[in-house]
Amino acid sequence: MDSARQRALARICGQRLLQAAIVSLLVAALCFLLVQQLPGDMAFRIAAGRYGYDYVDAAAADAVRQELGLARPAWQQFAGWLGQLAQLQLGQSLVTGGAVLAEIAHHLGATVQLAATSVALALGVGLPLGLASGLRPGGWADRLTLAYSVLLRALPPFLLGLMLMLALSVQLGWAPAAGHGEGGNLLLPVLTLGLGLSGLTARIVRDSVLAVVQADYYRFARSKGLAPWRVFLRHGLRNIGVTVVAYAGVQLILLIEGVVVVESLFAWPGIGHALVHAIFWRDVPMIQGCTLLLAWLFVLMNTATDLLCLAIDPRGPAES
Amino acid sequence: MTPFTSCAWPQRLGYLLLAAVLLFALAGPLLWPDYAGQQLMRFLEPASLAEPLGRDQLGRSVIARLASAARLSLWLASLCVLSAALLGCLLGVLSAWRGGWTDTLLRGIADGVLALPGLLIVLIFSAMAQGGFLTLYLGLALAQWVEYFRMTRARSRLLLASPHVEASRLLGFGPAHIVRRHLWPELAPMLLTMMSFGLATAILALSTLGFVGVGIQPPTPELGLIMTEALPHYSEAPQLLLAPVAVLAATLAALVLLRPLEATR
Amino acid sequence: MSTIHLHGLAVYQQQRCLLNPLDLDLHPGEALTVLGESGSGKSLLAQAIMGTLPAGLRAEGELSTEDELRHHGRHYPLHDAANRRQLWGELLAILPQEPVTALDPTMRVLPQVAEGWRKPGSGQDAARHSLAQLGLQTAQRHYPHQLSGGMAQRVAFAAATLGGARVLLADEPSKGLDGGACDTLRQLLQQHLANGQCLLTITHDIALARALGGQVLVMRGGEVVEQGPASRILSRPAHPYTQQLLAAEPQAWPTIAHPAAGDWLLQGRGLAKAYGKQQLFRDIDIDIAAGERVALLADSGAGKSTLGNMLLGLTAPDHGSVRRRDGLPRTAWQKLYQDPVQAFAPRVTLHTALHDVLKRCGQPWSSLEALLARLRLSPALLQRLPSQVSGGELQRLALIRTLLLQPALLFADEPTSRLDPVTQRDTMHCLRDELGRIGCALLLVTHDVALAGKSSARQIRL
Repeated sequence: MDSARQRALARICGQRLLQAAIVSLLVAALCFLLVQQLPGDMAFRIAAGRYGYDYVDAAAADAVRQELGLARPAWQQFAGWLGQLAQLQLGQSLVTGGAVLAEIAHHLGATVQLAATSVALALGVGLPLGLASGLRPGGWADRLTLAYSVLLRALPPFLLGLMLMLALSVQLGWAPAAGHGEGGNLLLPVLTLGLGLSGLTARIVRDSVLAVVQADYYRFARSKGLAPWRVFLRHGLRNIGVTVVAYAGVQLILLIEGVVVVESLFAWPGIGHALVHAIFWRDVPMIQGCTLLLAWLFVLMNTATDLLCLAIDPRGPAES
Repeated sequence: MTPFTSCAWPQRLGYLLLAAVLLFALAGPLLWPDYAGQQLMRFLEPASLAEPLGRDQLGRSVIARLASAARLSLWLASLCVLSAALLGCLLGVLSAWRGGWTDTLLRGIADGVLALPGLLIVLIFSAMAQGGFLTLYLGLALAQWVEYFRMTRARSRLLLASPHVEASRLLGFGPAHIVRRHLWPELAPMLLTMMSFGLATAILALSTLGFVGVGIQPPTPELGLIMTEALPHYSEAPQLLLAPVAVLAATLAALVLLRPLEATR
Repeated sequence: MSTIHLHGLAVYQQQRCLLNPLDLDLHPGEALTVLGESGSGKSLLAQAIMGTLPAGLRAEGELSTEDELRHHGRHYPLHDAANRRQLWGELLAILPQEPVTALDPTMRVLPQVAEGWRKPGSGQDAARHSLAQLGLQTAQRHYPHQLSGGMAQRVAFAAATLGGARVLLADEPSKGLDGGACDTLRQLLQQHLANGQCLLTITHDIALARALGGQVLVMRGGEVVEQGPASRILSRPAHPYTQQLLAAEPQAWPTIAHPAAGDWLLQGRGLAKAYGKQQLFRDIDIDIAAGERVALLADSGAGKSTLGNMLLGLTAPDHGSVRRRDGLPRTAWQKLYQDPVQAFAPRVTLHTALHDVLKRCGQPWSSLEALLARLRLSPALLQRLPSQVSGGELQRLALIRTLLLQPALLFADEPTSRLDPVTQRDTMHCLRDELGRIGCALLLVTHDVALAGKSSARQIRL
């Protein structure tokens, strides 16, 4: 690997590590603010969580307050909060009492399964549609893809999921509406998330194909006498790949947001579902844990796309 | 030629849809003012002339609730987008102009916020908000300012290094002139496009939160909330669910269609 | 080897004729150069032959090849673009105008050159040989973004000619090239001719036409104005337009006396600048006096623009200092840019832009009108946006903009390198006249030695 690429690699890793650190700081600060904002006595809640609502009294709450140092000034508490986070001590869920790390690890598999299958579906639908419409702009494939992507952009994940649920589950009874465990349970969530992403994928691929086919280097390659399919394979694919991978960041945002919504709608026991429940019950350690994990997953996936970009395009990912 | 007659049919459709939704949101609460009054005896009353969409499970006028919800979504989302755009642009231009430590600091913060998908930020803020508008507004605005910052900074950096800005400086013009004649005319079109994206995202986020139950709390009518409440009664009164879906889809479709399409050559 | 004949070549847009019917013969080993300015239809000629006319235009006529050995030729009607697509690489090859963008950024140099190989086997050996002959053996594994402009052009040449196409079409090959790269281009094209191939060059560069020799076609407004051997046309032109074109070359300009130098205006001592590891220049001393005309000559990338920016105070030197005369306003130092479109705010009308300048320096509108009249520009132009005005007119408007401020020194950074020869001559004459009128000094940056000689009293070589 030549030195320019090595430098680019170091730059990418450095940037992403810094980004992960800053976002962790941000999430910690927000969750800390959240704790301070909540009405009622934090110490009381934690004590109630431990001993049960019927057995807790003021003395127990005081003991907890002493133990966790909840009477200290805010900035000291924040420092302590950050300290714990740095040691990856994510605490215990206020609702279940179990360790946050364990709960998250338990849910992670389900989320990864959903996300991976949905991305596969999005690529499987979006790539062919985008290629077909980009190679024949203005044709019927192009118009179809346009209508398709407009429709899907106007239908947010929860609406799409709702409609699919009503159509496939309630009216036609093809798949179970919610739950986990049977094979058929994966169908509706994946369809919702995958189809939703495919609209954007199709547009991105289409625009990228158009740009590449009209580029100077493409025409020069044709003028050398190469057959059209050879030019497409040798010059088209890699350059299209560069643009598509560069846009992956936008799609990753939609993926993570979609995961949260779809899991809540279909009661898929992943991290998004856990997060929404935690928000509902104001279970702050759980909120923090889930958000951190989703943010880190996001940074990790972005790093992967940056590295992929570096592998395909010798100029490396563009600096923003 | 007005913008309406000079654009292609997708944009015309977008304008029409948006106008329809706006009309509904503005005139609706005037025509059907009572969105909160419950009349339990009129449970799930079907559509009539006085009540074009009937009444819901608590006997409230559906169309009044819908109009009020549309208005809420539109003005809250617009406010968020305007604030985010203002903040993002100011910081972006500042960052591009000053460079150095200001730039590095702002970029670092922006990169960090960027790593947190907007919905997650809004979710956390909604936990703080407990249905209050101010905190929700803060969350939505904070989730969006980064894109304006990045775009403005990237464009401004290019522009400030360009020959025409250099020429203006040589001709003796100051920062005010450069902003007015060089930066603003280039940034404005991009800003408008981004704001239409942002409006759609904000409306969507609000209704997603409402649907999931952690956003605006009942009894305030909100599109997502109305949908959740209507789900159990789907078989008896489908219009309860389909009406808010139609309003939301129309608004989002209008915003998507309004964006200029790429040229097909 | 055989001759290529083109009969009745014409281009139409519906009923309007854009290129009148003409006949061409391409003989092996003899160059054919089409000379003309923008709008003369010369690019349409190349596109009609290759079959790459834009949508809405159609070509008429016929291309036929003569095969002396077998005594029969092939005919290709020009209205059907598809028949020429099959000939790409085999008969026809095109040398791209912008070599850097014509190379795939994600592929190394060697495979891109080798893929044009038409005989059995991989073209790697032939490509390596070709690149070595062009002095590019070290660049084989490079990517396009690592090549300089001149190197990229040589790679594009190798890639276009590896297939052994008999006809090479070069559309404006010397655009934007400096002296050194122009020489290399000339050698490449002459080598191509020496191999017994045909060459069709489309250009407005008369020096290139002279060097290539062969036959010359002069075009104007879609019509052929004069046709014949280069030796005759370029020295004894018959048609007035050709005479005008030849008179527009800087060598042909009348030598005038430049004004005498006044007091010192600008002093640069020990100036040096480096970009990264590359040292651009070192220990440069420059003196410019009031009203004096100085030219700065160097090849691309030598840092002449940077030096000028330093003298104007736009960039700081790594070493050395610049002293400017006291008592002059901050706006006494002005600059003219190479690409005039980039020197104006793109979405502001010229009227607004000039009005702002007038307000700034407190001058009445009448002074602007006087300048417009003297430089032969219509006031109606001001209602347009910069991108809607031609290059020559826009550069004169940029000149007017700086003159309104009564500058003491004008730094002209290759102000006419993108203009046609006739427009270039008009613009340089205007520049000279107007600056002489107000006694403003000129620092002209150029790579054209003849231009520098005629436009300045003193030349400095970097």
